[in-house]
Amino acid sequence: MKHLIPEFMAMRRRLPEGFEPSLVLPCLRRIQEDRGHVADEDIDGLAAWLGVPRIQIEEVLSFYTQFRRAPVGRWHLQACRNLSCSMRGAEGVIAHLEHRLGIEPGQTTSDGRYTLSTVECLGSCGTAPVVMVNETYHEDMSPERLDALLESLSR
Amino acid sequence: MVEIWIDGDRVEAEDGQSVMQAARASGHEIPYFCWHPALSVPGNCRICMVEVEGDDASAGWLDIACNMPIAKGMHIRTDSERVRARRKEMLQLVTLNHPVDCGICDKAGECTLQDYHYRYNGEPSVSRDAKVRATKHHALSERIVLDNERCILCSRCVRFTREISKSHGLGIQHRGDHSLVRAVENGAFERDPYSDNVIDLCPVGALLSRPFLHKARVWYLEPTASICPGCERGCSVDIWHRKKAWTLKRLDPAANARIDRVTPRENPAVNGPWICNKGRDLALVFERPRATAAMVGGEAVELEAAVERARELIAAARHPAALVSSWGSNEELAAFHAAFGTRFACHVKTDHLPEPGERLEDELLIKPDKNPNRRAATALYPSLPDAPRAAFPAGCDLVLVWGEGCDFDALPPGAKVLHLDAWRHPAEFRADVFLPISVQTERSGHYTNFAGVVSRFEACFEKPATVADAEALFAALAMPARVEAP
Amino acid sequence: MTGTKLLMNFEVTPTSHCLADYRARGGYATLDKVLREMRPEEVTKEVATAGILGHGGAAFPAGRKWGVIRLNDEQPHYLCANADEGEPGTFKDRWILEHAPHLLIESMAIAAYALQVRHAFIYIRGEFDLAWRRIAEAVEGAYAAGWLGEGIAGSAFALDIVVYRGAGSYVCGEASGLLTSLEGRKGYPRNRPPRLTVRGLYQMPTVINNVETLTNITGIVRDGAAAFRQVGTAKSPGTQLISISGHVQRPGVYEVEYGYPFAKFIREDCGGVLGSLGLKCVLPGGISTTVLTAAEIEPLVLDHASVGAAGSSLGSGGMVVVAEGTCMVRFLQVLVRFYHHESCGQCTPCREGMGWLHRIVDRIVTGDGQPDDIDRLVAISKANDGTTICGMGDAAGYATVGIIAKYRDEFEYWIRNGRSKYGGRLEALGHEWVREAALHG
Repeated sequence: MKHLIPEFMAMRRRLPEGFEPSLVLPCLRRIQEDRGHVADEDIDGLAAWLGVPRIQIEEVLSFYTQFRRAPVGRWHLQACRNLSCSMRGAEGVIAHLEHRLGIEPGQTTSDGRYTLSTVECLGSCGTAPVVMVNETYHEDMSPERLDALLESLSR
Repeated sequence: MVEIWIDGDRVEAEDGQSVMQAARASGHEIPYFCWHPALSVPGNCRICMVEVEGDDASAGWLDIACNMPIAKGMHIRTDSERVRARRKEMLQLVTLNHPVDCGICDKAGECTLQDYHYRYNGEPSVSRDAKVRATKHHALSERIVLDNERCILCSRCVRFTREISKSHGLGIQHRGDHSLVRAVENGAFERDPYSDNVIDLCPVGALLSRPFLHKARVWYLEPTASICPGCERGCSVDIWHRKKAWTLKRLDPAANARIDRVTPRENPAVNGPWICNKGRDLALVFERPRATAAMVGGEAVELEAAVERARELIAAARHPAALVSSWGSNEELAAFHAAFGTRFACHVKTDHLPEPGERLEDELLIKPDKNPNRRAATALYPSLPDAPRAAFPAGCDLVLVWGEGCDFDALPPGAKVLHLDAWRHPAEFRADVFLPISVQTERSGHYTNFAGVVSRFEACFEKPATVADAEALFAALAMPARVEAP
Repeated sequence: MTGTKLLMNFEVTPTSHCLADYRARGGYATLDKVLREMRPEEVTKEVATAGILGHGGAAFPAGRKWGVIRLNDEQPHYLCANADEGEPGTFKDRWILEHAPHLLIESMAIAAYALQVRHAFIYIRGEFDLAWRRIAEAVEGAYAAGWLGEGIAGSAFALDIVVYRGAGSYVCGEASGLLTSLEGRKGYPRNRPPRLTVRGLYQMPTVINNVETLTNITGIVRDGAAAFRQVGTAKSPGTQLISISGHVQRPGVYEVEYGYPFAKFIREDCGGVLGSLGLKCVLPGGISTTVLTAAEIEPLVLDHASVGAAGSSLGSGGMVVVAEGTCMVRFLQVLVRFYHHESCGQCTPCREGMGWLHRIVDRIVTGDGQPDDIDRLVAISKANDGTTICGMGDAAGYATVGIIAKYRDEFEYWIRNGRSKYGGRLEALGHEWVREAALHG
């Protein structure tokens, strides 16, 4: 995590005095972007650099759905199953992904390529059903578009 | 001062108080789990809801009392129909996923949830769904076991580590009804010398003492007021032991007269509502093997014979010295001074040094001198200097050693040694005369702490028959020796 | 045409969100004028007179919230734009972030000037993709052009805006949960008192406004409160961005002038209900608003008074359209599963209650429901009404009570017969997604 400190210092620039603890979320996000997940030594390093109690970072990591302390597959497929998406076929989307990938939500394929998750509303109800792959929204996921997505991820 | 009304009583509340504080100060009871007078207000349990009566224009409303600022002229009802209904609802929800395994829970008999259930609810659960399961026997540390199913997530334990002990050793992981209290992963809670206070703070049986686990039902025990001898703060404690009416003939007698547990005794002048873990482990101090036989020249004798021999040594000494215990009570010190204070060259010794790794001092309770009554002793005599040989008069021919912690190798060679102590150790055999004495829990008395506060401790147990109280012994030793044919 | 447009009044092109296009539309001219000609209290007065209501769900008058901030009190003041947008059915703040980010920035600068704010924040939900990139780029662009930072437009006014990303938690959209998250902790909402305008971010006076509410500020100050009040209705001045989704032909974000007819909006402007069975019901403003049946919405207009009188709320403007043939038991199941997942866990009634609601509805769906389960769902909802730290408990209650009040027969049917009255359907008949689930091959 030490190599990210220059970036962390840049993040600090626009914050007022005393706002160092606020850096917990943005720093964790950056660490996770870099490593793929947040490791134990990252927690020690960040707690020391920010001067926040280690427990605060542990709690934050467990509370927010986007943070993870273990790696996921190369492609993290997050299918929304909230209201509008369910009304426009989310259950079919999820079943289709389960069938094609051979895994259930919460699992990763044995080759480490795909992790499947169900998530709550992504704020894209107008283009339901929606699947988020890593950081990207894939909207209007008709059966054809879903198959095309899987095809493009497999290459 | 602000005039408010609680249950029809006129109350003069202080500016800045919450309704909870004003109610308690005026003797009105409002139930609570998460609130605590020494901690911040999280307002999460929702059991302290009270009714604020409306006026002609508006209906009254209910809200939590712990976070409600007092307002001039407000009329509060702590027990109206609406409050009772809401409180019952909240209790139903608190116990929704509670395992109700009181039959195997140490907290039974002193459990706030039990008490409130019978007082405010009293009905079985209305849920037909299975309770949420969680970890039931989680080792939170070497000393504390956590049952997450019993936990009501009041956060008292977490707030204690954040605000009082400042170890930041505990937190709440995850969210919703899968929230779990957990210790930080770097061991800070294990190393927190105040960790066990969370056991007292926990309003349910979620946090329990591992040493005490399943040892005794609390209703068979009673507390006796005492003082922790672990350092010069002298925290007020309760030493719990079996009630006389509940002693069991079948039990090993030692079980009827042992320290079952130690808890803080609230004392605003000394320790507030807390003690450190060392005070919890007083059994480790007071239940070490005891010296029960008087000795002369390393051989066991009757106490009277040893006392007489001691009197002879004292009478014969030209340049006697004394190493005075820093664990002696004010009463024992007075008796010692009356007997030997003018004639002996006295110094106060350090009976107990800090253990390796023991915290020396902090801003909360712990003080560096690990002896309870040096202040009273040094009001009479100086402390033993670092080079102890210098403390003894030239030609010293008798040293009276009272208590533990004496380096016998540092005593003037050739001087006779008269040793008074409670515990077994090899030094018993080195003294010319050894006299076994009682310990703090076997008598009452007073200590003076580092700040000059004088506190009283009471006797919990009978002393062994062959052992004497030092206070009486000093008077006896001061009497002249009988002239006897050799 | 859904009435006057105050926000969606330009053509969306590949560059319309950029600074140059925004400037060409008159962007930042109002900020410039404010800094030259107005005092902070004059700005606040204009906003208060305009009477704009909050667009995040609570419809609290923004000017009144701003008025609590005491000028020159020697404390730092903070401003937060709530871009957490987690209420299911809602995606209209996203439209602003993607297409009108500079309008938000200019509006925030004007608000910051009025409130004597030196540091402002945009708390954006962590999942947002393009919306985050656009607003972050826009903030950098504004800095580069001198509209943020020190000495803005040659004045003494300085402002820093920090775009702060959440990480996946619905309660971080609740104002106090948002601040706790912004302080680097779990997004635990706080009890009031104290109000956040008295003790907010790091215990300093803080104003939190929804993105859409703030975005209106530039127009109000540019054209004046009177002009703003010409739009909409007396009690609901201005417009609302409505994100409409579910069983509707043309889902999307529409700007609707308050007072526009409800049913007409769905039928004409949004292309009507999907499928041939017709409209069953509508959630007017997100899942936390009380469901209204097709009959109930007929006489209504889209403003707070009208929808309020019908026993519901415009909420966050996240409208969900439901076609006949939809199973309302499965509908509620999705909702309570969501609330259970999102409960922060602090307070007893919500922490225990959400799980309980979820388990009961799940049990009804698996065929093990009992008749008194329905009243139990209502009782749990009532136990969450006014007893919780934040509004989520209440919201779950309104959603549950509303659906049961109007569709109790479906719950009774399932409990009696062990199955759904409508085949457990959530999709519109004839518009099913299908593929693998049905084909098994």
